[in-house]
Amino acid sequence: MLAASAAALSLTGCAKSSGNAKWTPPRAPVSNVSVVKAPAYNMSVYDTIFRMVSDHHLNVRGKRIVLKPNLVEFDPNTAINTHPVIVHAAYEAFRRLGAASVRIAEGPGHRRGTLDLADAAGYFGAMPKFEDSFTDLNLDEVAKRDIPTPVSQLKSLYLPRTVLDCDLLVSLPKLKTHHWAGATLSMKNLFGLVPGGVYGWPKNVLHWAGIPETIVDLHRLFPRQFAIVDGIVGMEGNGPIQGTPKHAGVLIAGSDVVAVDATCCRIMGINPPKIDYLRIARGEDQLGESAFRQIGERIATVKTEFALVDPWKGMIRA
Amino acid sequence: MQANGSKVWSPIQVFAMSDWKDSQNSDGGWAYGRGCSWTEPTAFVLLAQLAAGIEDGDKAGFEAGLRFLRSVQREDGGWSPQPGVTESTWVTALAALLPEKAIGEKRTERAIAWLSRQTGRESGWAFRLQQRLHGNDEPYPEAWPWFPGAAAWVIPTSFGILALERALSRSASSRLAGRVAAATEFLFARMCADGGWNHGSNRALGRDGDSYPETTGIALVALHGAPASQLLERAKAAARRHLASCRTAEGVAWLRMGLAAHGEHAESQFRVTPRTTVDRALLTLAAAPRNPLLMSST
Repeated sequence: MLAASAAALSLTGCAKSSGNAKWTPPRAPVSNVSVVKAPAYNMSVYDTIFRMVSDHHLNVRGKRIVLKPNLVEFDPNTAINTHPVIVHAAYEAFRRLGAASVRIAEGPGHRRGTLDLADAAGYFGAMPKFEDSFTDLNLDEVAKRDIPTPVSQLKSLYLPRTVLDCDLLVSLPKLKTHHWAGATLSMKNLFGLVPGGVYGWPKNVLHWAGIPETIVDLHRLFPRQFAIVDGIVGMEGNGPIQGTPKHAGVLIAGSDVVAVDATCCRIMGINPPKIDYLRIARGEDQLGESAFRQIGERIATVKTEFALVDPWKGMIRA
Repeated sequence: MQANGSKVWSPIQVFAMSDWKDSQNSDGGWAYGRGCSWTEPTAFVLLAQLAAGIEDGDKAGFEAGLRFLRSVQREDGGWSPQPGVTESTWVTALAALLPEKAIGEKRTERAIAWLSRQTGRESGWAFRLQQRLHGNDEPYPEAWPWFPGAAAWVIPTSFGILALERALSRSASSRLAGRVAAATEFLFARMCADGGWNHGSNRALGRDGDSYPETTGIALVALHGAPASQLLERAKAAARRHLASCRTAEGVAWLRMGLAAHGEHAESQFRVTPRTTVDRALLTLAAAPRNPLLMSST
């Protein structure tokens, strides 16, 4: 009877898609990635994030912005969820820059009580009238979208209207290692867009269709993105849930989220081309350090090696 | 009853009726919060109205809810989660838990037939063959996925058990009884080391997963007919521990229903905030003297 419990391991993320391989990554222009030291979750984060967003000269005036944090589990004492100060600082920055609307939206992968989760993570305390600005993407209205030349085994996905109708999707992930994907950052954070109300908790169809491939397909469905990565306190080891908090004291941002994630990997001591979804999204030859223009700190000054679990140890270390 | 035959409603029943009446969409269904109608909240509101005995307080509203549900049943016999989705999913089990007199005998039969055809992908021949070739001979008991083509998980399996038990109370079927037995085996196999359940991944990379309040309660409801055992005692102990600290409406409601399904009536010390229509319906179900999820078909 108990034998089946071990099988759970193989059903939650090990399935590997052969992929369609019809799609090849385009040659990307050199893009800017901001790397700024931020030692703690305090009031200075508000100014730092405003400056980081401003540096990228985004045209957000009159636009509908959706902020997508990473809310995973009820445990405010660890570094599982995006810190509420980061979310509120991003909310205030986009409002200050003239956005017509800023909504915070998330669809957690395991827990159904999204508002309860946000409450436990401190979002209600950090943001006045948080509930009025929040959409539970698991329970939002949905529309079906075909995936042009998919790299995963998926042909289409139901996706939430709130995200499909926005002008700019801002991914606000935590800097974490991940036991199935190597690292979970801006791109992997988009799994939270897939509606649990349709696909369930967890969103297991994504696992069967290939985790790296579905990360890339989701990323390609949303061409207008920006990312701000919460690397003040990240998570190392057995992330995204059972890892250990790791202070890195850094925020990373940019419009090219592949470049942002590759930069985050370097900061954690991970070689970006060794992360499957980055290699599929951009090609191995376009993930070198010279492929991106760093604004702010050099990687060497903020590099904080994150511990890795098997099988990633020795496979992805830079 | 009053002398003239009309019911006397308790204040809580009056509140529940007005709340659900106000939030009912024009198509007869309910949303999780605002927006379009979904199968899950609609089925739970109707079950809660039955549990509270208020379905005849707003007969027109109750009938409209049923009409919405009937409109979402698909050709294959399953239910889609909402009208815009062209795929039958786990919510079929919820619709099949409504009394067949209300939803319709033929409709219920087709729902059960659809459910009996669904299993987690891991118990299909292709995955099992692949595993055998890799030297893995573990059994994969048949249980239910959230969405066709994915693996089986705790919540859809729990509702699958309840729906098939309801069907078995109408007529015997060795095939359905076999599915209930296999799904029960699946639930015990996915029990966490702490005695409760999470979504269904009890161990990963050599580490035990922690159980959740809501899934522990749901699994206990589904195991209401399981014979007494040490495993069941551990599960009830886990539910009691969760109830002592749980602050979510969903968690508290399911824990209370889970313990009540095993003859134990427990209260939460916390005042919880219902966030969704489903939360409100679950709190009503948990407070009702008889849980319609566990009743035989009428």
